[in-house]
Amino acid sequence: MTGEVTGMTTAYIWALLGMAIAVTYLWRGLGTTIVAGIDPDSPVLQWVACVAYGLLSALISRIVFLPVGVLENTELVDRVGATVFGFVMFFLFKKHIGVGTLSAAGAFGVLVWARSQGFI
Amino acid sequence: MRQHVGDKEEPAISASENLYANNWALFRRGLLDGFSLPAFMVAASMIGYGALVHSAGLSLAFGVVSTLGIWGLPGQVALIEYMLLGAPLVSMLIGVSLANMRFLPMSMSLAPLFRGSKSGWRLRYLWVQFMSVNTWVGLLRRVPELSPDQRGPFYAGFSTICMIAGAGGVSAGYLMAEAMPFYVTVTLVFLNPIYFAFVFAAMRARAGLLAFAAGAIAGPPMYILTPEWSLPLAGIIAGSVGYFADRFLRGRS
Repeated sequence: MTGEVTGMTTAYIWALLGMAIAVTYLWRGLGTTIVAGIDPDSPVLQWVACVAYGLLSALISRIVFLPVGVLENTELVDRVGATVFGFVMFFLFKKHIGVGTLSAAGAFGVLVWARSQGFI
Repeated sequence: MRQHVGDKEEPAISASENLYANNWALFRRGLLDGFSLPAFMVAASMIGYGALVHSAGLSLAFGVVSTLGIWGLPGQVALIEYMLLGAPLVSMLIGVSLANMRFLPMSMSLAPLFRGSKSGWRLRYLWVQFMSVNTWVGLLRRVPELSPDQRGPFYAGFSTICMIAGAGGVSAGYLMAEAMPFYVTVTLVFLNPIYFAFVFAAMRARAGLLAFAAGAIAGPPMYILTPEWSLPLAGIIAGSVGYFADRFLRGRS
């Protein structure tokens, strides 16, 4: 994605940002209000937590397989390969989050770099 | 400082009790907890966002305020993409909002953790503004060892370090934008989702793990089916699969 934001005054840009903050807070405030009368240990809230995990995981998986934005310019095989490598390291190192993350991101960086240099 | 509310049992606190002696100690404990991997990951991810803000021709102040105000990377990125497209106002606001819809189930899971603490519960509408995937998970991990009264100061400390790291990361990315090669930018953008993948994969709760696995499978096909509604739908389907599969497995053992 390239190019600059054009045709907007500074005041309009800040007004937009204010509205974006407000519509984001809507979810935060709504969730807090809905939940006021519900027992924290109730099955409903355990289900809601599972929905949050499922939603985030779907988002991550979508970014790896079908990204939009700047990652669109990278290869599917690099993204999936780096992720798989990260998970292998993650389990080899007894589910170490740092090892998994840095292995996956490191592998991805190396793959993209090697491709830009024409090595792959 | 702790108090009983209703007939709820206080979580047992063992030898570490003196570590949580007062609010300031708890705040520092949160700072330290966040200072390792979480703050580093926030900073690194926001470097990528800072570079994006710079390339869009927006100001550094916009980068910092949008980071701390929206405090959810997908929504921040969506805002800039829509501004670049010059999309109509309503479609832009719906897009930004949907990109951060995860905050609904997340705040429903976070806010009740402060019930049972007078001061913590009073500030619940402030706590949810600090909430990101990082701070949410950071608090959830410590919930068993913290009483409701101890959670507020701990969470405030954890959130503070993450927000400082976020603001610092955006600024660094903004200032270094022109010097960053393509492979560095895309790696920083890739870092954030992949970090969360491992945070969730390291979870102990079986229901959450099953929901995580189901979501990873459901995500891409749902996106092809209906891009706008894929996230809430995939979340509800995967969350239900995880929740009920866990109950089924528990019933059998």
